[in-house]
Amino acid sequence: MRNSSLWLLLQKMRMPFIVLVVTYTIAIVGLVSIDGITVDDKIVHMTIFDAFYFISYTATTIGFGEVPYAFSYQQRMWVSAIIYLTVIGWFYSIGSLVAILQDKLFISEIKKGAFRKKVKKLREPFFIILGYNNVTRKIIGKMLSQGYRVVVIEKSSERASELLIESYVPNVPVLEADIYDPKALELAGIKSKYCKGVVSLFENDNLNLKIALTVKILNPHIPLAVKSTTAHLTENLEDLGVEIIENPFEIISQQINMLLCAPSLYKLYKWLYRTGDLKTKTIQLPIGKYIICGYGRMGHEIKKVLEKNNIEAVYVEMDASKKNTFSKKEQGEILFKDADDKDALVRAGIEDAVAIIAGSKDDTVNLSLLSIARKVNPKIITIARENEIENKILFDYAKINHIFMPSSSLVYRTITALIDPIIDRFIISIADKDEVWAKNLLDMLKTKVGEHPVPYEFIVDEKHAYALMRMFKKDKKVPMNTLCKSRANRDEMNKIILLMLIRDEEVHILPDISQLDIRFGDQMLFAATRYAIDDLEYIAENIHELSYVLNELN
Amino acid sequence: MNFDKLISGFFIILAMTLNFGFFLGDIDKIELHSKYELFAAIVVNLIATILKIGDKSQVGSVLLATSLVADIQLIMAATIWTAVYYSVGVVDVHNTAMIVSLSGGALLANIVSVILYMGDTLKSKR
Repeated sequence: MRNSSLWLLLQKMRMPFIVLVVTYTIAIVGLVSIDGITVDDKIVHMTIFDAFYFISYTATTIGFGEVPYAFSYQQRMWVSAIIYLTVIGWFYSIGSLVAILQDKLFISEIKKGAFRKKVKKLREPFFIILGYNNVTRKIIGKMLSQGYRVVVIEKSSERASELLIESYVPNVPVLEADIYDPKALELAGIKSKYCKGVVSLFENDNLNLKIALTVKILNPHIPLAVKSTTAHLTENLEDLGVEIIENPFEIISQQINMLLCAPSLYKLYKWLYRTGDLKTKTIQLPIGKYIICGYGRMGHEIKKVLEKNNIEAVYVEMDASKKNTFSKKEQGEILFKDADDKDALVRAGIEDAVAIIAGSKDDTVNLSLLSIARKVNPKIITIARENEIENKILFDYAKINHIFMPSSSLVYRTITALIDPIIDRFIISIADKDEVWAKNLLDMLKTKVGEHPVPYEFIVDEKHAYALMRMFKKDKKVPMNTLCKSRANRDEMNKIILLMLIRDEEVHILPDISQLDIRFGDQMLFAATRYAIDDLEYIAENIHELSYVLNELN
Repeated sequence: MNFDKLISGFFIILAMTLNFGFFLGDIDKIELHSKYELFAAIVVNLIATILKIGDKSQVGSVLLATSLVADIQLIMAATIWTAVYYSVGVVDVHNTAMIVSLSGGALLANIVSVILYMGDTLKSKR
């Protein structure tokens, strides 16, 4: 039996039911056997039905009176005894029923049943999100807006209720259970063919590893996005075959690297992650002396980047009690804050530094550090790490030059990797391009497509390109630029650029479309106007549009 | 000795024997069938049913099903008897046959139940 809530109810109601049957039986047997007297002094016995009728209304405290004849004193003595017996039996049963309905186990079973039904009914692609917090809340919102469904497993009932209050549309089923419990994952539909991925972005690295292991055992084919903050864990996750491994600190150090060497690339990234457009203003980080406050996991990643770029930097650890956790060599290299923030900054040489990065995990510390730094050196460029979304207003007012948010970077990376795998591939492929290349691409986008290009993924298969597939079946070649033509006038080209073509697992960045034919299985990434995307979809799917653009009869 | 097994075995077998006792006798003579025995059979059958409730195993489910069948048949017999007695006053041959044959059906269900119960008990190693 699948529905265990009903069984739980029945099992717990056993004793009350037995008590009820036994008390009724005792009462009925007594009533039937005791002599009764009619009006004309004849001795009568109650029938079984009479007795059952009388007990039924007496036990439930309805009390219709003495029927069919007024009782004899023997009968009344018996009844006064059994009233207590049966009424108590009845109340006990009702009380047990109410208690069971309020029982936590019973309620959780009912909720589980409802959750299972909801997941079973999901007939569209969905993602399983583990844990509900500020980061996953953003991911859920984004995924829903992109037309995907979401299922959440959350351990704390408080947070699960928070999700219910949020009242997402369409509904987000939430299960209260241990996150790494294989049964909970199965309930959440990890084996369903509609499940498109699992997201696990916990602070606790061990928890993430545990989840990755469980998920990969349950369903090795499901894409899994896991957060990892150490190289060691990343290695472990790679060995397990986890597809998407995100390290927020690495993401941020990569961003700093881009701001140092290729700000245009950073702009391009922002556009691809759909967090900004081509007009987004970015800063170019200056070359010179840097002060990095906070030498934890993020500080280490930043150090790698600065060393790679040959930039002089002073590292300040804000928590002096951590001193013993560093190696001797490191203790010599980094400064430890003693008592006063200002004192530490001056010792680090704030006067002649060009930029300061406040990267501790405490937002208040970061904000106060930067305001002190500004007072000492008004020209300094300030860069802050913002940990909590709630502090956004504070950071906005502080007029900081650049703000990094590990959590939100994590959100965009994860969503892109799961929902837009082709864009993700492009982002990875262009990671080592330089400023000149990125600037040229940006200029090309602006001139050929306009100020607001949209990244668009296209796969040549039966589902997305019916008309093209018909052509392939007739062994006809279709040149790549067919997709870029205007439906209104085939001699004109739409505002569209092919950014990347993946063919036979090989990535071609900015290929020359005039030389290429379309092939089955091609994965493409375009940058285009909405209008051009519409045309492309029509041409790929509709045979009449296609034959017009190709200028040939069917 | 397993006390739970003793209790449930006692009621399951008592349900069958009481049922059999009521069923015994000519099918058309109401005098040969005691209403008190029917009452006792119904009560014991109900208790046996409750004892079987909540067992999620395969055998447990079938046992519960047989008990429910017996309950329904016996309660139907009692209901018909009561209804005929209070509305007509006399239980005629036709109705007697109906009451007794219903209890016969319940007896069959009870026998199946006892066989299943014994089979399950013999199967277990202890």
